[in-house]
Amino acid sequence: MFLLPSTPLWDTSPPLKSSYDAVLIGGGLHSLATAYYLARDHGMTNVAILERRFIGYGGAGRNTAIVRANQRTQENVPLYQEALDLWPVLTRELDYNLMFYNCGNLNLCHSEAAVTAARMNIASAQFQGVGSEFLAPADVKRMVPALDVSDRPRHPIHGAMFHPPGGIVRHDAVVWGLAKGASEQGIHIHQQTEVTGIRAVDGKIQGVETSRGTINSPRVLLSAGGYSAGLSHRFLGVRLPISPLTIQAMVTQPLKPLLNHVVSSGAYHVYCNQTLKGEIATGAHMDPWPNYTTQTTAHYLKHQAEALTDILPCLRGVRFMRHWAGLADMTPDMAPIIDGNDPVEGYYLNCGWGYFGFKSCTSTGKYVAQYLATGERPEILEPFRLSRYKQHRLMGETAGAISYTPWN
Amino acid sequence: MTRLSELPTLRIDPYEELRFEYDGRPLTGVAGDSVATAMFASGVRVFSRSLKYHRPRGLYSLDGECANAMMAVDGVPNAAAETTPLAAGMRVGPQNVRGSADHDRLGFLDMFDWAMPAGFYYRLMHKPAAMWPIAAEQIRKMAGLGEMEPDHRTVGRYTETYLNAEVCVVGGGPAGMRAALAAAQYGARVVLLERRPWLGGSFEHRLRSLDDGTPAYQRARDLAAAVKAADNIRVFARTALIGTYNDNLITAVQRGANGDDFDERYVEIRAASIVVATGCIERPLLFENNERPGVMQIGCAHRLAHTYGLLPGRTAVFSVGSDGGLECAADLADHGVAITCVADCRPEGHDPELVEALRQRNVPFLAGWVATAAHGRKKVRGVSLTALDGTGTRDDSCDVLVASAGRTPLAGPVTMAQGKLAYDSHTGCFLPASLPARLHVAGRLTGLEDPAAIETSGHGAGLAAAADCGRAVETELRECDERLGQLPGPAAGSGLVRSPTHGRKAFVCFDEDATVKNVRQAIDQGFDVPELIKRFASVGTGPGQGGLPGHNLPMLVAELRGMPPESASPTTMRAPMVPVSMATLAGSSHDMCKRTPVHDSQKLPGAIMRRIGAWRRVRYFSDDLLCRAEVRNVRTNVGMLDGSSLGKFRLWGPDALNALQRIYVSDMAKLRPGRVKYSAMCNDDGCVVDDGIVIKRADNEYYLTTSSGRAGQTVEWFRYHTRYDGWDFKMVNLTDALGVINLSGPNARTVLERVADARVSNDAFPFSGYREFTLLGRVPARVMRLGFVGELSYELHVPSSYMRAVWDGVAAAGTDLGIANFGVEAQNIMRMEKGHLIVGSESEQRTTLNDLGLGFLWSRNKPEARTVGSVALAQTLEQPDRLKLVGFRMDDPEHTPRDGSIVVDERIRGWVCVARNSDALSQAVGMALVDEPLSGEGTTLQIYEDGCGGNLATARVVPMPFYDPGGARIRM
Amino acid sequence: MSFLITCPTCGPRKGYEFRYGGEDKGPRPDEAGLTPEEWVEYVHMNRCVAGVSKEWWFHRDGCSAWFTIWRDTRTNLQVQVSNDGPEEQS
Ligand SMILES: Cc1cc2nc3c(=O)[nH]c(=O)nc-3n(C[C@H](O)[C@H](O)[C@H](O)COP(=O)(O)OP(=O)(O)OC[C@H]3O[C@@H](n4cnc5c(N)ncnc54)[C@H](O)[C@@H]3O)c2cc1C
Ligand SMILES: [Zn+2]
Repeated sequence: MFLLPSTPLWDTSPPLKSSYDAVLIGGGLHSLATAYYLARDHGMTNVAILERRFIGYGGAGRNTAIVRANQRTQENVPLYQEALDLWPVLTRELDYNLMFYNCGNLNLCHSEAAVTAARMNIASAQFQGVGSEFLAPADVKRMVPALDVSDRPRHPIHGAMFHPPGGIVRHDAVVWGLAKGASEQGIHIHQQTEVTGIRAVDGKIQGVETSRGTINSPRVLLSAGGYSAGLSHRFLGVRLPISPLTIQAMVTQPLKPLLNHVVSSGAYHVYCNQTLKGEIATGAHMDPWPNYTTQTTAHYLKHQAEALTDILPCLRGVRFMRHWAGLADMTPDMAPIIDGNDPVEGYYLNCGWGYFGFKSCTSTGKYVAQYLATGERPEILEPFRLSRYKQHRLMGETAGAISYTPWN
Repeated sequence: MTRLSELPTLRIDPYEELRFEYDGRPLTGVAGDSVATAMFASGVRVFSRSLKYHRPRGLYSLDGECANAMMAVDGVPNAAAETTPLAAGMRVGPQNVRGSADHDRLGFLDMFDWAMPAGFYYRLMHKPAAMWPIAAEQIRKMAGLGEMEPDHRTVGRYTETYLNAEVCVVGGGPAGMRAALAAAQYGARVVLLERRPWLGGSFEHRLRSLDDGTPAYQRARDLAAAVKAADNIRVFARTALIGTYNDNLITAVQRGANGDDFDERYVEIRAASIVVATGCIERPLLFENNERPGVMQIGCAHRLAHTYGLLPGRTAVFSVGSDGGLECAADLADHGVAITCVADCRPEGHDPELVEALRQRNVPFLAGWVATAAHGRKKVRGVSLTALDGTGTRDDSCDVLVASAGRTPLAGPVTMAQGKLAYDSHTGCFLPASLPARLHVAGRLTGLEDPAAIETSGHGAGLAAAADCGRAVETELRECDERLGQLPGPAAGSGLVRSPTHGRKAFVCFDEDATVKNVRQAIDQGFDVPELIKRFASVGTGPGQGGLPGHNLPMLVAELRGMPPESASPTTMRAPMVPVSMATLAGSSHDMCKRTPVHDSQKLPGAIMRRIGAWRRVRYFSDDLLCRAEVRNVRTNVGMLDGSSLGKFRLWGPDALNALQRIYVSDMAKLRPGRVKYSAMCNDDGCVVDDGIVIKRADNEYYLTTSSGRAGQTVEWFRYHTRYDGWDFKMVNLTDALGVINLSGPNARTVLERVADARVSNDAFPFSGYREFTLLGRVPARVMRLGFVGELSYELHVPSSYMRAVWDGVAAAGTDLGIANFGVEAQNIMRMEKGHLIVGSESEQRTTLNDLGLGFLWSRNKPEARTVGSVALAQTLEQPDRLKLVGFRMDDPEHTPRDGSIVVDERIRGWVCVARNSDALSQAVGMALVDEPLSGEGTTLQIYEDGCGGNLATARVVPMPFYDPGGARIRM
Repeated sequence: MSFLITCPTCGPRKGYEFRYGGEDKGPRPDEAGLTPEEWVEYVHMNRCVAGVSKEWWFHRDGCSAWFTIWRDTRTNLQVQVSNDGPEEQS
């Protein structure tokens, strides 16, 4: 192919050094973004990403790639807002098409209470300068003709929150593009390299043990997605308020354009969108017991069909063709844990992202990089400290008590 | 096209014609045809156009393994024409074409493959940036195969069935049938699943004789008859496996046949043991234009002739890698197809009998040869062949090229159940290497080719499954294993994947138009594992479910990277194994909800019902969503509300009080009979999860209520938080056992007096009192005097079976006064006016008891109870900057902010939980959760509503309740 | 969930009949002197073992009992375990 060079996008087998200035555990979105910004903004290039399998093996390669910035609280919105703005910027910077498809997100309301919740999110978004508006059922129908806005569905549609700035991004492209960007600046990405221990002496990080030997480093970032909490406990005895749960998703056979927006519904526990390839990708809530299986369940496939066809009846004639699962590391308040030097100096955490870790990875990586490079916690990350749980200051991302974690 | 009508293997009735429509043209098939075979019989050769390059695609396998023969059938896109039975009157159309399948205006795209290397969209289409949104829309239009109309409605009968079998056998070939028979012979209840309409598997269409002289098809029919005769085997034909899951859960989809009461149904089976005997499919040979219409698999050509009576073409060339190809060639020669030559990539190891058969028919047999390119633009016209040792090449013309690299086991059911596969160099297949407990494999899936060995392995697997169900099979199993040991083991197979070709158009994945070249490009760009190449170059992610490239991709990658074949591992197989329509999965999809005992009396004309949790309840009794008439009638007269969904519990036993002390924040030791106690439950964060009433009916005997939404979790909650204590208390959920009437308004007592068999004067039954007496002369009732809506009010709890009688009796007793129903929204307005909160409406997940101003309920004097939430309540008591619940009054009495508006200054400081224009007060009032510094009385709140464009409304924090602050009305 | 759980009263049942109730962390601590650190360890912190773990389950669509089982979080399958439990694996 004469237009494009056929060279590796990133250096797939850099030499493993015995010491780095920072080690990032996990070759997922957050490590890759952090690495990229460590090099770009802070000139830190003596950095290694250690990945047990291959980059994108975790949630990075399994998510449904929905991006938006209409979160419930003002502590969260700025981070997601910046992340949303970064997709086109990074596409240019990385010279790699992240395929941000700005189709907007439509969040259906099926009760008066849901309308109230939506109004609150909309008002918050508008107040913070983020596009969002309420749509009456007739407008919803105009936007998505396939939706049944009559009284027939078990949860009739009362309206919707429309969030024009959101959409979908090609998740794999983000992994590969960031890997390219990090590697080009000299960062080492070690695949097939499992971290088997973290070394700390006198409350200070010394480095990590890996399947390929010991690596010294004064800084270790744990961003191993759904595996993080188990690793933190296993390596350092530091427990986290996290439950690693299975989250599933599936796609239908490819169709010509039918859905032009991301559509989601809390009452039905379902969201869907049509990918650029024409598949309708859909997912929903999590199986509320911890496990690392990444196995799908029969129940889920059925649930998804029941839910989708009730609001989008034409989908009855559409077939599911692929179903997969990944891990979601859920915290009790559905907000991540981003912290450092507590309780071990040089030990940094960026985990607990649940099913929000894709849409947030770019901006978070940028600030986590700043945190790692300077040791100073950026203001924007302040709300995500681990200590909020012992201080009884849960974040308000979820309105009602959730049942993802055992009884709390 | 005339059909072979005399073959004993036929599954069609050549004389019963069925008319259907293809792309607007009337065509004719026969009974027993699939849509695809009927089209083929009518001369259709180009079935569809491919995804990216719009290449013509034809019939390839007959089992729906690729998108080539996916059609729009009766408005439903992506229907696999090969497995869809033809029905009279069907409307069939091609997909992904502009024009027709034969003449597609986008066919030129095939010349532009150089512009679309693997992953080109990642590397090209974002420049210039402004182009991308436009390009994205174009990609969307070009991508996708079928088309679905937004208002399409799939009609049909879709049902579900849930089976509990001892043994489930997947695959109704000879191995599967033998397994079923063996297990059944030991008394096991067996379910046998087969995706085709008939049993028989690889024997089913074959005329060749087995060792004992019986033709294979006849043996298949004999076994099928035996299976049918066994009354503990249930056969599910036309049933394709969706998935195998933990603990032997199997799901499948069954197509209905004549006489079934469903068109398609979802089948779910929990089995003690599973036998997987799904056999093999063929894997494509990779050569130039290996998917031209006219190139087809061995099974496709063979079954076209034997099952459907259709000759695949006039002149055929074979390029195969297994004995099945030789057998097919000999058969087709007998049926009159001119076989130009049969190339077999295996240099040796052919079945001598079949080689002889070809010789007798004067069919040139080229051992160690393989096709390198197919020629012809829309259909195959010829083929180039080469000797693998480089000793020669030749070109032949033909109109059908039967091409197949070999077989690959259909091991999805094994790997989905967490079994593992390993590459076996003898067979050239990924074979099951480790199996989960209580799952067995048999037949061609294990690499066997010898018919007797296939059957024996099936028999053995059936015995092993019977053993899982506790049957004593040891002796016979041992004998069976011995016999199997004496039979031929797995046949040597060709490991060849790719013929020596450098061409651009050797397709690894037809569905995604992914070529050998694309795979190489992916590897060059650093994607070295098959899982990554699958994603990067889109191999095996199309509607064919990855079956065809599943074997070839990892082998090709190993080859291109110079790795040994043993290092290859297949990409993950995922459910659903076959595409399943949502209609089938949704099945009957019952709309379930709970109805109160007086549901019908509530469904009055004009009443607007809502699903509230598990229940359906009336929210408004008229289309006045402000409920003015309902409210006024309660405030000035008397109304009644069906409150039956309220959670109701009996709690009793020696440790009942301990349990109450653990769960409720208040000191429950202070309860007095005849009085109600309002209290709250917190979680360990001190956040309120529920509130309700507790009544002490006697020592160790309590009655309590919860909110409707929590009723389902209350027993769970009590038991959870006492799980380590070993306490002796019992709890029964009485929610459905008792109906509730809320009788409220200044005239409530007048009405109650008329129906109660007791004195209910203010002295005899004061506010906060609890009484038990009969109503209407006979109905036992539990009655409490409460004031949720802020008026004189009684809550009548009566047995559900009497609820309708009591409801009607109360209504009759109040008719002269003008008693009327009120609904959930009227109640909501009135309780808000009274400053009463609803957990979940005026609280968030993070809202503590103190934040709500309910700290007075919490007793700090019972640390020994270890009350849930007390630690957090103590630790947060003095905490600044929490969101607090306040009441507010709008400065403009005409303007009520919408629920969910936010409170702001420079930042967001809180939000409006509920606000209403109060008719009773002539004010707009509401409740909000606001930052503590804003919670002081008299503070001005700035309210930002969605869509307000920055025009803030103002309100002032005022004390609650808004209505009747002294509480005189509830005590009157 | 496609796996089965064996309820001590009802026997093996489909996993969806049950509700997960957390890792087995032992009885509620005494309130007196409980620090925020100790409280949060008990209430929110999990070990998230990748291996066999002892945990609480509730038979929601059944007998309403809370009970503990050992389950392998890598397979979801319940494992039978001797009195003292397995060595924790990871
Ligand atoms: C089905 C599904 C749908 C989702 N949908 C969305 C969505 O629409 N929008 C959204 O914003 N988010 C979504 N998410 C969530 C999102 O994918 C995750 O939050 C995100 O991937 C987290 O990124 P991460 O970098 O923290 O972890 P991951 O991407 O999971 O990466 C962690 C990596 O760590 C590696 N690792 C683990 N242990 C070790 C070890 N010992 N040594 C070395 N490496 C190790 C893993 O192999 C893995 O590659 C979804 C997730 C799933 C599973
Ligand atoms: Zn039970």
